[in-house]
Amino acid sequence: MTRAASAAAILLIVVAATALFYVVVHQVSGLWLDVALRPEVRAALEKSLGDQKRLRSFDPEQSEAYRLRFEETRKLINRIDVIRLNRAAMLRRFDLTLVAVFALVMAIGGTTVWHRSRRAEEQRRREYVARFAAWQEAARRHAHEIKTPLTAARLEVDRLVSLTHASAPMTDVQRAAESVFEELDRLARFTREFSSFAAVAAPVLRSEELNHLVAEFCTTFANAWPELVLRFTKSAPSMAMVDRDMLRQVLANLCTNSAKAGAKNVTFAVSGAAIDVTDDGAGIPESIRPRIFDPYITTRKIGEGMGLGLAISRKILLDHGGDLTLVDTSASGTTFRLALHT
Amino acid sequence: MVKRLAAAIIVCVALSARAQPRPSFAALPGAAAAISLPASMLDEKAIRKQLNSGLTTVFLMIARERGTRNAGAARVEIRYDLWDEVWIVRKIEVDKRIEQQRLASFDALAKWWKNPVRLFVSDGGNVVLDVELRVLPFSAAEERDAREWISKSGGVAATGGGGGIVDALIGTTITARPITTYRWSVELTLK
Repeated sequence: MTRAASAAAILLIVVAATALFYVVVHQVSGLWLDVALRPEVRAALEKSLGDQKRLRSFDPEQSEAYRLRFEETRKLINRIDVIRLNRAAMLRRFDLTLVAVFALVMAIGGTTVWHRSRRAEEQRRREYVARFAAWQEAARRHAHEIKTPLTAARLEVDRLVSLTHASAPMTDVQRAAESVFEELDRLARFTREFSSFAAVAAPVLRSEELNHLVAEFCTTFANAWPELVLRFTKSAPSMAMVDRDMLRQVLANLCTNSAKAGAKNVTFAVSGAAIDVTDDGAGIPESIRPRIFDPYITTRKIGEGMGLGLAISRKILLDHGGDLTLVDTSASGTTFRLALHT
Repeated sequence: MVKRLAAAIIVCVALSARAQPRPSFAALPGAAAAISLPASMLDEKAIRKQLNSGLTTVFLMIARERGTRNAGAARVEIRYDLWDEVWIVRKIEVDKRIEQQRLASFDALAKWWKNPVRLFVSDGGNVVLDVELRVLPFSAAEERDAREWISKSGGVAATGGGGGIVDALIGTTITARPITTYRWSVELTLK
């Protein structure tokens, strides 16, 4: 629906509701005024006037008191008569006042709704544009990841064919065949990365001591990133419900990112049911901070990763009933927190 | 067909001319113009009904000199006092002269009613006056009293939280609209 159409629709609703309100109000206001101006009321008051006058003749000593009461009643009758003479104008003013207030409220409400829907529409557009840019980036990376090993493999196969035809030495044939397998392995790794993103398994939760788990990770993965030193100081024992393998995967993803960001040290700290992972890398650029957990968001060049690691890691933590958050990042390092359930 | 239509129009005009009571005008010393209203006016159905209502019936007379901006006004107020069963009348003439009386009967009222009321004063000479008489169903004091009653007490409407404002708004609509209006023109020589 276009802006003009939605504005027209809201205006139509306001007008229709106001017209309906007017009809209802007109009926109701006429009713209350007519109830107040019923002839029986006036007749009863007039009878009361007559009674006061008769009482005066029976009890002349109280004449002044009767007269005062008589005057009060007479004033009341006068007021009713004045209102009766102004009935139509009063009803008109009453109806118009209420209808004006109603129309004002409806107009304000309608305008607010319209502005909100416009803002929401703008937001959706902006988000779509941002997502579209991410998809384009992903498409470029996909193309590169597939095209590079395919081209290389094709060249090697061509060479293999020519070597075979030329009856080349077996070592050259083997080297060419190894090169083809290498490129095919690269393709397989790429496919695996996608498979793990497409189907993050549900965690099998067990109660684990976090210090023990992190220490074990630091020992096992001590040499996984040659340029990185993993540091961990044991703190008070802390139990949490975790899937050991999946948590290791998250820690490994974070370490991989740290290594690629030029970090030399990664420090692990356990505090309650949370693990803080801090590196001394270059930090995360401000422009992508709000979207670092979105898939395909990465600062790396094409061919150096798909930007799926943090998205997968956060999904794992969410499946644990916890969350993965960016605590702090600057030019001197970054801290992520893995919040878990006890 | 045309003749019948013309006859009908003549009858209507004649009837309306007869229905319009004609007062008499007089030039009084002091270059003043006075109006004497016919007693038959008090017997007009709408006026008689209003006179018996207990409210003050106000006869507001305005005289405008044709071709100039000169004007004058006078007012007669009549209220039937139901307790003492007398007619309380008040006359305020163009020169602010006030006359107030209690009249024991309707006949006395009719007699008093015919007295001339000074409603225009000029420097003298020939004047053509356009006179308008508005019959108002209640006085300014009664109007004020009803407005205050509505505004203060919530009147007859129980309208909830914003009731006071609504009642005040409604209260201001209470105004004395003429129940009938008469217009005459007269030429007088004032000395």
